[in-house]
Amino acid sequence: MIHLLAYRPLIDPLDLHHVWFLLLLPLALLVSIAYKAVRVDDMKHFWPATLWMTAQVIVGMVALGFAFYVVIEWLVPIIAPTPM
Amino acid sequence: MTPPADTSDPTPFDPIAGVLALILPGAGHLIQRKYKRAACIALGILGLYFGGLLIGGISVVDRQSPRSETRISFIAQALVGPIAFATNAIHQSQFKTTVNRTDDRGRPLPPVIAPPGKNRMDLSLGKVNEIGVLYTVIAGMLNFIVFLDALLPTHRREDEEKDAEPVRTTGALDAVLKKGAS
Repeated sequence: MIHLLAYRPLIDPLDLHHVWFLLLLPLALLVSIAYKAVRVDDMKHFWPATLWMTAQVIVGMVALGFAFYVVIEWLVPIIAPTPM
Repeated sequence: MTPPADTSDPTPFDPIAGVLALILPGAGHLIQRKYKRAACIALGILGLYFGGLLIGGISVVDRQSPRSETRISFIAQALVGPIAFATNAIHQSQFKTTVNRTDDRGRPLPPVIAPPGKNRMDLSLGKVNEIGVLYTVIAGMLNFIVFLDALLPTHRREDEEKDAEPVRTTGALDAVLKKGAS
C-alpha cells in the first residue's frame, strides 16, 4: 500500500509483471488505430477495419506463441535430445 | 513527331505537413484538413507513447543508457518528435540513476549508481521494461509512416467526394457564372 502511494505516473513503472501478456491487447488496438487512420480509404469504415486488424494481430500473436511452444517443448527435444 | 503530353497528375508533395507530422503526431493531417484522421493518428501514436511511459516509467526513454538496446531504441523513439527528446532530457536531468564514465582515453567504463537525490525513480526491469520500450518504439515507427503519408498525401475516396461537392455561392455569383458560360 505504501508503495502504491509513492507511485508517480509516467515516472515509475507499473507493477504488472504477472499480467504482462495482457498489455499486448491495448498495444494491438492502438497500433491498429494509428495504422488504419493512414491506410483506410474512407473514414466511414475506420472502426470496423481497426477492430478487424486488432483481432487479426491478437490471433496472430496467440498462434505464433503456440507455434513456438510446440517447437521448443516438443520438436526440439525430439530433434536434439538432451544427452544423459 | 512530338511525344504525347503527360496528362497524369503529378505526385502531391506537402513538405509543411511532413514537418508538422514530425513535430506533433497528427498535426500534418490536421493542416491538410483531415480532422478525423488527425485525431485518430494522435490517439494511436500518443496513446502508444504515453502508454509505454505509463507501463515502463521514464526509464524506457534513455539516450545515454548503459544498455545498448535501450540506446538503439531511442533512434525509433525519436521519430515521435520533440516529445521524445523532451522526455529524454527530463530523464537525464532529473531522474538518472546511473552515471556514465570514461577513462583518460575516452573509452567507456561501467556506469556507477548516481548519488541519492530527491527525484530518484524506480528503474523498470524485465517484461515491464521490454513492453514499455516496445510501445514507445512502435509509436515512433508508426509516426514515420504518418510522416510519409502527410508528405506525399494519397488521393482518397473522401477527397474525391469533397471535390465533387457543389461550391456554395451566392445567387448573384451563380447568375454571373451562368451568364459567362452562355
